[in-house]
Amino acid sequence: MDPDTPEPSGLRIPDLKIPGLLKLTADRRKALTTAAAAVVAIAVLLVGGMVFVSFHEGQQVAAFNSHVSASEADLFLVSGKITSHMRTPTNDLSVAECDAHVREFAAIANYGRAVTAYHRRIVAVDAVPEAYAGAQSAYVRALDNLNRAFTFWSSAASAYEVRDYNAANRNIAEADKAWQEYNAAITDYDRELRVVEEGPEVPPA
Amino acid sequence: MEWKDVLPVLVGGLVILVVALVVKPALLGEPIGFASSGSVPAGDPPVYVPPAPVPTATPFPDDGEAYTRSFRWTAIDGGVRTTEVRVPEALFLTHRGTSRFSDYNSWGRYALADADRPLLEDLAHRIAPPAANPDEGYFRLMNLVFFVQQIPYDRDDNTTSYIEGVLPSHAMYVKDGVEYPKYSVETLVDGRGDCEDAAILMGGLLDALGYDTVLLRYSDHMALGIRMNEFNPYYAKYTPRHFMYGGQHYYYVEGTDFDWGNISVGSTAIWGRPHPIGDTSGTGIPSVQSETPQIIPLRYVPEPGEYQIRPVRLPAGGA
Repeated sequence: MDPDTPEPSGLRIPDLKIPGLLKLTADRRKALTTAAAAVVAIAVLLVGGMVFVSFHEGQQVAAFNSHVSASEADLFLVSGKITSHMRTPTNDLSVAECDAHVREFAAIANYGRAVTAYHRRIVAVDAVPEAYAGAQSAYVRALDNLNRAFTFWSSAASAYEVRDYNAANRNIAEADKAWQEYNAAITDYDRELRVVEEGPEVPPA
Repeated sequence: MEWKDVLPVLVGGLVILVVALVVKPALLGEPIGFASSGSVPAGDPPVYVPPAPVPTATPFPDDGEAYTRSFRWTAIDGGVRTTEVRVPEALFLTHRGTSRFSDYNSWGRYALADADRPLLEDLAHRIAPPAANPDEGYFRLMNLVFFVQQIPYDRDDNTTSYIEGVLPSHAMYVKDGVEYPKYSVETLVDGRGDCEDAAILMGGLLDALGYDTVLLRYSDHMALGIRMNEFNPYYAKYTPRHFMYGGQHYYYVEGTDFDWGNISVGSTAIWGRPHPIGDTSGTGIPSVQSETPQIIPLRYVPEPGEYQIRPVRLPAGGA
C-alpha cells in the first residue's frame, strides 16, 4: 500500500449528483431514439418510395411497350393489305376491274384510318416516365401522320368515284407528303428510344 | 424506443400512400391503385372490311332490236374494205341516257366501256385479222387507224352528228359550244363524230387488239398516242412525233381529218390520203403543231408513291 495514499477513513465523499442531470440525459436518450426512429422510418420510406417509383415506371414502360407492340401488330396487317394491293398490275384492267381496284383501295384506307385512330387513342394517354416522353410523342405523331395519309387515300377514292381524277391526284400527292412526315416521325421515335435505352451518344439515324 | 414514437411516422407514411394511390387518382379521374394511369377502355381493335362485291352487269341481248351499220373504207394496201356492225339498241340507248363527265381526264372510260368491249373486239379482229407473220403487225395497226380516220367528221353542236337529229339530253354546254364525248358504239351507230369521238373509238379498238394507247389533249383538239418502242420508218418524209409518258414513247395518231376530195369535178368518187402515225404536219391544226398535249391514260386508278409502313423497335421495358 502506498503510504502516500491515505487509507480512506470514515470520510465519505458526498453524492455529487446534480439534480436535473439525470432527467436531461434521459430526455436526450429519448430524443435520440425518436430521431433515430424517424431517420430509419424516413430511410425506409425513401427506399420504399424509390422501389415503388422504379416499379411504377417499369410498369408504365411495360404498358407503353405492350401498346406500341399491339399497334405494330395491327399495322403489320394493314401493311400486308397495302402490299398485296400495290402488287396488282393495273395496266390491263377493264373499267369494272379498275373500279373494284379502287374500292379495295378505299377499304384499305378506311381500315388504316380506323387502326391508326384506335392505337393513337391508347398510346397518347399512356403515362410514361419522362425519359420516354419524346419517344411517345414521336410515335403518336407517326400515327397521326399515317391517319392523315389514309384519310387522303380515302378522299382520293371518293374523288375517283365521281370521276374527278384531278382531285384524286391532288389527294394522292397530299397523302404522299403525309407518308413522308410519318417516316420522319418514325425516325424520331427510333432515335428517342435509342437515347433512352442506349445513352445519349447515339449517332443520328 | 416505444410504439408511440414510431406511430406518427408510420401514420404519416400511410397518409402519403393514401393520398398518392387513392385521393390523387380520384381527383384526376385516374384508376385507383397501382394500375397504369394511361390505360383507357378502347374496345376491340378494328378489322378489315372488304368492299361489297358489285353485281356484274347483265349483257345486252344479241337477239333484240339492234342498229346495223355498214362501213366502207380504204385499207393501207389501197383496197376497199367493207364490214357491218350490229349494235344492240338497248346498249346504244343506255349510253345515250348516261350523263357525261365534264372532266376529260376520265374520258378514257368511254373507250374502255365494258359493255362495248365484245363488240369492239369483234370489229377490231374483222378490220385487222390476226396474221401469222408478225411483220404484218404494222399493217394491221394501220388498217385499224385508216378505218377510224375515214368515219366522217361532224361537230358536237351539229344535230347531224346524231341519229335522232337533235342534240342528246346529256350534251354539255360549254364556253365554246357543245361538248359530247361519245362511247365507241355511239360513234359507230351515228356513223360520225368529232376529234375526241374518233380518238375514243380508235383507243377502244386498239386496246382490244392489245395496244397501249393514251389520249392526247390539245387546247382545241384531241388525238391518240400509241406506245411503240421505236418508230422511224425509212420511207417517212417527216420526223414521227412522239411524247414521253411513264418512261414510254407514245406516237401521235390522228383520228380525224382524213385528207380526201373528189377525184374529178362532178364525180362522186373520192380519193383519200390517211394520216400516218407520227405525222402532225398534215393535220393543219395549229395547236397540234405548237402545243405539247396533255396525256390522258385510258385507264386510271389512284396510285400512291409512298405506302411502306416501317416496323419499329419496341421500348425495352416490356421485353
